[in-house]
Amino acid sequence: MLTSFKKFLASGNVFIWGCAAGVSISLLMVFGLLLLIMINGLTYFWISDIVELTLKDKQHVMGQLAGREIIPRSITPDRPEGKGRLRVKIGNRDIYGLDFKWVNDDQIVSEVYPADVVLLERREWGNMYARIKTLNRGEAVQAEGNEAGWIALAPLIDAASDLHRQITRIEKVEIGSINADIEQARLKIRAFEIGNPSAPDTRGRGHIDDLKAQVVAAESRYQEKTAELEALRTQFDEYSVVMVDANGREKQIPVGQIIRALRPNEMGLFHKSWIYLANVWSVLSNEPREANTEGGIFPAIFGTVMMVIIMSLIVVPFGVLAALYLREYARQGVMVRLVRIAVNNLAGVPSIVFGVFGLGFFIYAIGGTLDTLFFPERLPTPTFGTGGILWASLTLALLTVPVVIVSTEEGLAAVPREFREGSLALGATKLETMLKVVIPSALPGILTGLILAMARAAGEVAPLMLTGVVKLAPSLPVDGSWPFFHFDRKFMHLGFHIYDVGFQSPNVEAAKPMVYITTLVLITVVVLLNCTAIVLRNHLRKKYAGSVL
Amino acid sequence: MGGIAVILSIVCIFIFLVKEVIPVFFPPHGTQVGHVAGAPPSAAFPQSSLIGMDEYQEIIYQLTAGSDRQIRFFNVQSGAPIILDLPPELATVHVTAIARAVGVGNRFAFGTDDGRIVPVTIDFTAGYEAGVRLIVPAVTLGIPIQLTPAKEPIIRLAYQPTERGTFTAALTDHGRLWYAALPSDDTPIALTGHGSESVTAVIFDSRGETLSIGTAAGSLYHYEVREGSPPSLVETASVVPGASVTALSYLIGDRSLAIGSSAGDVSVWMPVRQAQESSTTRFRLIHRFDAHPSSVTAISPSLRDKGFITGDTQGNLFVHYSTSSQTLLKLQGNQQAIRTLTFSPKADGAVALTDRGELLTYTIHNPHPEVTFAALFKPVWYEGYEKPEHVWQSSSGADDFEAKFGLIPLIFGTLKGTLYAMLVAVPLALLGAIYTSMFMHPNIRAKIKPTIEIMAALPTVILGFLAGLWLAPMLERMFPAIVAMIVAVPASVVIATVLWQYLPAATVRRLRPGMESFVLVPVIICAVWACLGLNQQIESFLFGADYKSWFATHWGLRYDQRNALVVGFAMGFAIVPIIFSISEEALSNVPRHLIAGSLALGATRWQTLVKLVLISASPGIFSASMIGFGRAIGETMIVLMATGNTPIMDWSLFNGFRTLSANIAVEIPEAPHGGTLYRILFLAAMLLFVFTFLINTVAEVVRQRLRTKYSQY
Repeated sequence: MLTSFKKFLASGNVFIWGCAAGVSISLLMVFGLLLLIMINGLTYFWISDIVELTLKDKQHVMGQLAGREIIPRSITPDRPEGKGRLRVKIGNRDIYGLDFKWVNDDQIVSEVYPADVVLLERREWGNMYARIKTLNRGEAVQAEGNEAGWIALAPLIDAASDLHRQITRIEKVEIGSINADIEQARLKIRAFEIGNPSAPDTRGRGHIDDLKAQVVAAESRYQEKTAELEALRTQFDEYSVVMVDANGREKQIPVGQIIRALRPNEMGLFHKSWIYLANVWSVLSNEPREANTEGGIFPAIFGTVMMVIIMSLIVVPFGVLAALYLREYARQGVMVRLVRIAVNNLAGVPSIVFGVFGLGFFIYAIGGTLDTLFFPERLPTPTFGTGGILWASLTLALLTVPVVIVSTEEGLAAVPREFREGSLALGATKLETMLKVVIPSALPGILTGLILAMARAAGEVAPLMLTGVVKLAPSLPVDGSWPFFHFDRKFMHLGFHIYDVGFQSPNVEAAKPMVYITTLVLITVVVLLNCTAIVLRNHLRKKYAGSVL
Repeated sequence: MGGIAVILSIVCIFIFLVKEVIPVFFPPHGTQVGHVAGAPPSAAFPQSSLIGMDEYQEIIYQLTAGSDRQIRFFNVQSGAPIILDLPPELATVHVTAIARAVGVGNRFAFGTDDGRIVPVTIDFTAGYEAGVRLIVPAVTLGIPIQLTPAKEPIIRLAYQPTERGTFTAALTDHGRLWYAALPSDDTPIALTGHGSESVTAVIFDSRGETLSIGTAAGSLYHYEVREGSPPSLVETASVVPGASVTALSYLIGDRSLAIGSSAGDVSVWMPVRQAQESSTTRFRLIHRFDAHPSSVTAISPSLRDKGFITGDTQGNLFVHYSTSSQTLLKLQGNQQAIRTLTFSPKADGAVALTDRGELLTYTIHNPHPEVTFAALFKPVWYEGYEKPEHVWQSSSGADDFEAKFGLIPLIFGTLKGTLYAMLVAVPLALLGAIYTSMFMHPNIRAKIKPTIEIMAALPTVILGFLAGLWLAPMLERMFPAIVAMIVAVPASVVIATVLWQYLPAATVRRLRPGMESFVLVPVIICAVWACLGLNQQIESFLFGADYKSWFATHWGLRYDQRNALVVGFAMGFAIVPIIFSISEEALSNVPRHLIAGSLALGATRWQTLVKLVLISASPGIFSASMIGFGRAIGETMIVLMATGNTPIMDWSLFNGFRTLSANIAVEIPEAPHGGTLYRILFLAAMLLFVFTFLINTVAEVVRQRLRTKYSQY
């Protein structure tokens, strides 16, 4: 027995298996993580049934089941083994103050799924789970009872959504453009005064008066629009529903506050799937609500994409040139070794250091100078002297340039010598060979580098926090007002959204689903980009693998 | 060209960081810039003159005792006097002593030859005339108070108006010390605690809670002042043995007392708690500064920080900073004794009055007084601490806050986080790399490597979020299970190996090499599952009832939810792929014919690995670990989200910490451009840069060497 054990040890098999365990654990961690995020992210869109629990103390609890666990010992030290409890999302934050409630199993008398419970998705205060008591127009009761109310409610919600869309359009687009006009005119006046500080000549005076008239006109247009808004708002609040919760508490809600009313317990699988897809779409395309914890993440997606695109435009030329130099022009020697070390170092510099550099150099040094040179009329409000999408992109370009260099080099190295020699032998100059033969052949390598850089940039957060990301940007970096691209604007970013919603929001528990969804979107983008890069690279390797000899 | 751009950008980053940091270490400089002829102070009375300045630093004023009943105002720039109608009451007053109240504002009291005290306030109002700022002073007199019952002349005076009342103490020319607090105790009380020693300095703190008296014998007497009861002598300390106390001044915040002596010594004393949990304090010498060559005559504290200036009888003016125990600047005088001086409200200038009645103005350029190398990296004795300590606390709500810029706790936190991450990552990554490179079928390897690469591409913000919001609460609930896993997972692997031996050889052979890890996946899942399921039982078995109380009672450890263990796992996860890829590359590059030779000579796979492959690839593995180390040091989001970000120094697994990188992320949005904090955060970034630069360079050089070595074969 002992000898066989010794033999077993000597063979080293157990150690080899130990090594194998290293791989297994790593794989488990990766897939476990992906699975965890997928499960948590994807289940959010599913509308689960509403349960109504009757407790021993005659209280009722209504909501969606959110989890089940064995009661931890820290809560009840001397409880009998194996008692469980339910976690119910009770919603109605304006009535209860809490979103979730724990219910011990032994408290529950009955558990039913009544078909008539209504789920109201609201613009404020989160979901509501209740039954309709009356539907009012002003003070007058229009429909009474749950069924009548439910039938009458649906068209009203549609009308209210239309109104809401109208209101947002007026607020964002029309009033926004009036404000922009006023601001433009004000800045022109200011610029003129700065230009001629002493006494504007008569022509200048006329110009200024002109501008001032413009401001007055714009202000009167503004008044009109606010009046229009006011009218729409009263219309908006015309109808209201009185809801009654499981314990008979009533709450009046204006119909304008309701985004959607559902009866999940009545729905079939098909209907629920449809709602599921609609939910996915609404998260991807809508703006956030309620301090980012509800609504959509469209501005964050847009900001991320925009930032990555600007960064790509900067990083590709820079990285490709560096790689060309390293591989094609430089003589292999101390210099090239130094550059390689520098490239690897640049890749190893902590991202926060890039952020600090971006803040000090791009924003304060360059941005500050730009402001004093070109936008003196806006000071002391900084234009480029504060964080913005351009500076963030530049910072990330610096951060990702090593990625592009390394992979372009690999691409160049894979181009067979014969291609070059053939081209040169046919009389092409070195530059022509470069542009027409080498670079096109190395394109997959360059592309790989670009995609990897994009993936890296999409996931970086620390440098962005210092160079222009915000939790809620009032407007996108691209919009309909001239000059359409606003590189000085702050923007939202998926990664920062995760940090902000998960760690800075007042109600982390309620925000968690949103964080998981954002994470899911971000991880999907990053993993897809990386997979593309890997496929491209393998393709590149295969393409030239045969032709070398 | 592009390559040079890369080097350039590295150099550029470094130079820029240095450029932003270096002003912090510039020595301050200052000069005497002008003088204005004021009135000579009276030689008969020691406390007979005061000077001050408005907050825009445009007007200086002088108050003088004696028959001269004027308050003089001068424009700093031109020296031109400003004419002002003084209150008529002043005409009847014969001033023998003047005292300034500690703190912001220009509040004074005149002591008179008949034992009265007259409160005086000077207000400055800024008006604009034709676009030019014009500062207009105004003088208001308060109601006189009779302080010495025998109407003896007052020669020294301390005066402090507070919200609770006005506190005054006065020394008469007969050597008696009187105290009164208005309006509650308006009958003056004689203070006799100092015995027969002659009083040379009297001062209240700004809250009027302590009265400090310095004597010619070099002693300091502390009275606790309360309304409704006479002051009680709480402490006596011999602060300048062999000399007399010549100047006293509380620094902003009322905790530190700066003391000047006739021998020229300057020191700062603070009340220090005797022992932890005890409320009794003792006055102790905390900071000692460069001594003046002659007797110190006046001290003026800064209104912004813990700095102060001192003057002596030879006209020297020194600038000190309390926290860092540094004398920052010495301005040589011209042998004219400085009678009194004042630090400008923005602490960038000073005015001194000489014995001849000249008002000397100074500019002092000292934007970062609090930073010295020692203040950043050595323990410093801060106010309210029992001993010198490393502390990082850059800001607080209070104005009189002492900024604590000790970087050591942050460096400690950085190393702590990195160390725990390496403990998780290195074994896992190395085992994986060895297996993948040596024992795995190439086809499987081609699938595994991209998976690990994707692991490297996962944004750290995601890892941080999962660590903070999922792993940390999970770990808190399941800690006993995690402890058990450390044993259970390896054990399950060993058991699986043993069982594998008994499988029919035919089945075994059908599997390609490299399938071991897939076989192990369900085994490990089962082990983990069992541990989690048995959490409660394990907890009862290992820790009695509750693991938290077990750790608290046995080891005195407190469990924070977001702790080093969580960071270790999350950051370990982040650096596993880096270490894995680089060491895998190093291992695979070991020439095949060497391995083939070893196997042909009869060595087992394991022997070949340990005796040949690992040894020849060890530089590569070393460099992989270094690069992983460098990555972990600079990682920001994970530590930001998964630790409590408390800058404490404790190796415990269950505490949080704060790293340099997280500190930058947390504090730089609040740091004003060009300020001290801003520059110190740049210094932190520079430290990170230098550190990772060194590590990466070493790692890269090792790798390049290794590559050349292998290419010889």
